[in-house]
Amino acid sequence: MLLDYLPIFLVLAFSVIVSLAIVFSSRLFGPYRPNKIKNLSYESGKDPVGSTHERISVKYYLVAMLFIIFDIEVIYVYPWAVEFRNMFHSNGLFAFMPMFIFLIVLELGYLYILMKGGLKWD
Amino acid sequence: MEMTNLYQSLNLILPELVLSAVLVILVAADLIYHNNKAPVKFVALSGIVVSFFFLLFNFDNSGFAFTFGNTIRNFGLVTVDNFGHFFKLIVLISSFFVVIFSFSSIELKEAENRIGEYFALIYGMIIGMFFMISASDLILVYLSMELLSLSSYVLAGFLKLRERNSEASLKYLIYGAVSSGLMLFGISILYGMTGSTNLYVINSLIQGPNINLLTLSFALILIFAGIGYKISSAPFHFWTPDVYEGAPVTITAFLSVASKAAGFALLIRFIKTTFVSYTDANGAWNLINVFDWQSVLIAISILTMTLGNFSALWQDNMKRMLAYSSIAHAGYMMLGILVLSNQGLLAVLIYFAFYLLMNLGAFLVVMLIANKIGTEDINSYNGLGYTSPFLSVSLAIFLVSLTGIPPTAGFIGKLYLFIALVDAKMIAVAVIALLNTVVSLYYYIRVLKHMYLIKTEPDTPVIKPNFIETLIVLALAVPVILFGIYFQPVVDFAKSCLVILGM
Repeated sequence: MLLDYLPIFLVLAFSVIVSLAIVFSSRLFGPYRPNKIKNLSYESGKDPVGSTHERISVKYYLVAMLFIIFDIEVIYVYPWAVEFRNMFHSNGLFAFMPMFIFLIVLELGYLYILMKGGLKWD
Repeated sequence: MEMTNLYQSLNLILPELVLSAVLVILVAADLIYHNNKAPVKFVALSGIVVSFFFLLFNFDNSGFAFTFGNTIRNFGLVTVDNFGHFFKLIVLISSFFVVIFSFSSIELKEAENRIGEYFALIYGMIIGMFFMISASDLILVYLSMELLSLSSYVLAGFLKLRERNSEASLKYLIYGAVSSGLMLFGISILYGMTGSTNLYVINSLIQGPNINLLTLSFALILIFAGIGYKISSAPFHFWTPDVYEGAPVTITAFLSVASKAAGFALLIRFIKTTFVSYTDANGAWNLINVFDWQSVLIAISILTMTLGNFSALWQDNMKRMLAYSSIAHAGYMMLGILVLSNQGLLAVLIYFAFYLLMNLGAFLVVMLIANKIGTEDINSYNGLGYTSPFLSVSLAIFLVSLTGIPPTAGFIGKLYLFIALVDAKMIAVAVIALLNTVVSLYYYIRVLKHMYLIKTEPDTPVIKPNFIETLIVLALAVPVILFGIYFQPVVDFAKSCLVILGM
């Protein structure tokens, strides 16, 4: 049934409405003093127009990669936290164990990066 | 998952757990000991010994770990059986030797402050291989293969300032990425056809009527591309010579023995559990009639050994020559699988036990010589037989054994392979394999010619290994001769390891 997909359409519609509302309300209520730099499209601080054959420091990739590791950590911890109440009821304190081991290993990795100077920018 | 099940499962994979714990300890030890790396090396070596004992204690333990509680047949992600134990022993023994090699490698001295990473990555490889050997679920197969591959990419280029190393690493990475992508595609097709990733469940499902054989063959060839890349069989072998030549010798030795063993274990388990309907009283495996593994394996095996042997004829670099020889040996070992019987499996196990000794030994001697003269060029071996008799004689033993000439272990290995072939009435294949052995004689003996038949010159180096190095060379060379004469214990042991848990 097409009606089963109604929630998805609702979410889509909601996101469209909210984003439009944000864009227009800021124009409506906020001060508006444009200049050339403010009007550039947002590219995380980089100049959006120009040659694509630019060298980017390899350190950037390292930090980006480390960021992904911790991003993934959240992905693992979140479902565990959601399901934790049930696991605690059935398994008691054992429910902590898997996440505990996972976090120890992960934090050890973080410590390793830190002590080996992986996060030093210069 | 129920808790009792979890405890039982963890009990079954104790050696793997020990290895994982040691990996964590290694990383921590690397942080604690900045300057003196001796404790790190000690942890690396003792971790392997400890898990070796755990593996021995676990030897009679077998079963399915991490089963899905709700299915009727409780087949799990991990299958622990004697077949797996055998290959795990091979992997552990070879990693023991490789770790000791690493202590005396001159190449690795230039990266002494990163040696903790080196051992941690070796442990990553070992854990990956352990799970590859006992994986009975396609997801775990893929995951463990990636764990093995990612660690070995880094290790192949461990001496990153050497151009040869980086080249090897990059080539390995590119080939590996392509073949693991192909394999994943094959796995996804197989999953799409059967709706399960478990090998045992797939086994029962592909016997059904609704299987499109063409699609299935396509998926299987793609999966074989992934496994064939790990064992460096013919159409997927192109990375082998370049990587073996460029990587540090210790890693080359490790890749050529342990990584290949894990690949073979995976191939055998994949064929046995997924495509064999039953094993009859004579030990012959009856294939489910969906894919003709036998013809495919015959073709690939002949191609692999012929290509390996004929390319090795022209090599002047020892590591490159041994790389092509290891491709040829992959072809020989496939002979044992294509028979599709317990007898063939026995031959493969025996061959691997001996291959471990002789191949590791050959690489060790090559490393010890390269430590002194800084090159692996065969022409620089001229006259070594007279200035450094001990190493030359050991190298001669290993090379003669790799050829498969009587008083050495290599002969017994080949003998069992050929007997299995003849018993299965595949005379033609056996003859081709025999002719290949004759070809291989040329390039192995050529090294001996350089060492013994070319006169010593005043600048021929004198290579004296120290006490520990001598001990390790002896530990590999003596069994090669000993098992060539008195091989019954190995055969008996291999016979007790034929059990692959199945239907």
